[in-house]
Parts: sequence; C-alpha cells; structure tokens
Amino acid sequence: MMLEAYAAGKRDEIHTDVLLKARQACYKARDAFYSCLEMQSDKKPTEIGSVGLLYPTECKRSRDEYVMNCRASWVKHFDRQYCKTKRTQRLLDDRETRRG
Amino acid sequence: MLISRFIFFSANRRLARAPNLLQRFGPSKRIQSCGYVKSAKNNYKKPTSHPVMNVETQSSRSWSAYVIPAALLGFGGLVAFLHYNDERRAIKKGQGNNRGYGAVAAPIIGGPFTLVNTENQIVNEQDFLGNWVLLYFGYTSSPDIGPDQAQMMAEAIDTLESKENLKVLPVFVTIDPQRDTPAQLRAYLKEFDPRIVGLTGPVSAVRQMAQEYRVFFRKVEEEGDDYLVESSHNMYLLDPKMKVVRFFGLEYNAEELSKEILKELKKHQPKAE
Repeated sequence: MMLEAYAAGKRDEIHTDVLLKARQACYKARDAFYSCLEMQSDKKPTEIGSVGLLYPTECKRSRDEYVMNCRASWVKHFDRQYCKTKRTQRLLDDRETRRG
Repeated sequence: MLISRFIFFSANRRLARAPNLLQRFGPSKRIQSCGYVKSAKNNYKKPTSHPVMNVETQSSRSWSAYVIPAALLGFGGLVAFLHYNDERRAIKKGQGNNRGYGAVAAPIIGGPFTLVNTENQIVNEQDFLGNWVLLYFGYTSSPDIGPDQAQMMAEAIDTLESKENLKVLPVFVTIDPQRDTPAQLRAYLKEFDPRIVGLTGPVSAVRQMAQEYRVFFRKVEEEGDDYLVESSHNMYLLDPKMKVVRFFGLEYNAEELSKEILKELKKHQPKAE
C-alpha cells in the first residue's frame, strides 16, 4: 500500500543543517549578532534585516555570519522574537516618561 | 379548568390582532352593549359628567378581564412546564457517579495509527501496547522549541529510569513528513537519546494521527523548501492501553515532567497489570 511504497522509496538525504552542531553554531552566531545590537544600541540603525529588524552598519559582519549559519526561516523566526521582546521591554521601561 | 384556559388564551390572541378586532368583538360587543345600556340606565341618576368615564371604564374593564387572568394562567402554565422539564432531566442524587471518580467523561483522544519508524519498518499502535508512552509531535527543522522539548523528554526519561527504575517509552512523531525522512529522524534523534522512537510516514497517515490526537499543525513562512511548522505543542502521556491520561504543555521543564509522570504512574499502579 502507500506505506510500503513510502518506506521503500524515500531518498536517504539528511538535512544536516538542523542537527546538533549546526544548531549550536546558529545559536552562537545569533547571540553574537544580538549582543552586537545591544552594544551599538546608541548608533542609528540603517541596515534592514528581515521582518522589519533594523541594525546599524557596525553589526553588518555579525549579521552576515548569522545569516550564513542559520536557515532563512530560522533567521526570520529569531528576528521576530527579538523584536517582540524589545517592544515589550520598551513598554515596561517606559513607565516614567509616559504618564496618563 | 383547561377549557376555560383555552378560551382565555384565544380571547387574548384575538385582542392582540388589531384588524380582526372589530369582527371578533362581536360577542363581547353584545355583552358590552348590554352592560352599556345597564350602566346608562344607572347613570341617569348620577351627574352627567360621569357617563363618559363610565363608558371608558366599562370597555377597559372588559379588556382587563381577559388580559390579566390570561397572562397569569399563561405564566403559571409556563412555569409548570419548565419545572416538569427540569424534573425529567435532573439526575437524582446518588445516581450520577456510577462510573466512579477517575473515569471523567472527557473526549477520547487518541486512536489507531500506522506509521514508519526510523528503521523503515511499519509500526502501528499495537506495537506500543503494554508500555507507558510519552508522545511528542514535532519536526526536525524546529529552530528552538523542538530541540528543547526533545531534550526535555530525553532528560525526563533518563531521570525516571535511573532514579525510579520506571520505563517510559518516548516517541517522536514528525509533523513535517515531507522533509523528515526516516534517515533524517534517526540522525536527529540519535543526538538526544537512542531510546526515542521516531515515527514518520506519508502525509495522509500523519495527518490522520494528528487529528486523532487533536494536534494542530500548519506550515508557515513558506519559501519554497524552507518553512516552519506551527503546532500546538503538547506532550501526551499514554498508559499501557494506549489511552491518553495526561498532556504536558511547554511550561514544564525536565524535573517537573518526571515528577508528574511519576505521579501518574503511581496513581495507576493498583489498577494496572
């Protein structure tokens, strides 16, 4: 039936870019990029990443490392998460400046 | 009693329909006219300013004579009917808990499935009978949640086996069967724990199993071959009869997970075997 055909016919290719080593390299590059962003937070963001994330030119190199080490969908996923946490942080920190 | 209620009801309805009012008022008009004549006779003795009011009160009295008792009877009838219905539907005290406290009437999650494991063998749920199973639906291309959950599963299983000597079989079913071939699953799961059983198969089989276990999954961020799968992250604990006893969401870590599983096992101990 269909199952037998499936079991017999699937190719033996493995996506190695989601296995442990690749994942860890990706996480490292991602963390490096985000820490660069934190350090350069006073500079004006001029480059555009994915899903609306902006970053200054100083971080361009770590950005390229990051994109190279991770899949495109993962890059988008992490960027979106980062933007969300930044936004909630801003909301939480803004209590003094905005009243009423 | 019922007949009079019917008459009142119909009279009530007649009064409500304005166009038919003049015709239907026939019988009552006669009565009214009698009353009118009578009161007119009586009024000759009283001052003339009153006949107008008397006429009006006469007509309003015949109106209210119908409306108020009819409404009361109708209301009483409605209340009686509802009360009767409640009595009929109510479960008498002491009869409801026949099935015992443990067997709660919950939706039956789970069912038969037939998939392919990492050794390219066909397995179905019969192969897992007799074991406690910790079931997780994930995919290998998950950026962060998948690896975390798989790691947690491995750690919990390890804790249970080493500390409590309880064997729970971890099963990882992929919700991304198009990219997760058996070989891919094998390479992926090997890094966490060799005991984790990986299951994949044709898309229809996986979709059927996911439906039985009420797992939602959907492709997002699709760019050709590169996509993420959004899913309802739940880990299911099944007893040796392949019935779902508990599910764990994302908020559990490895220790809590092993503690909860231990609790469930101990609870089922007198019933099992």
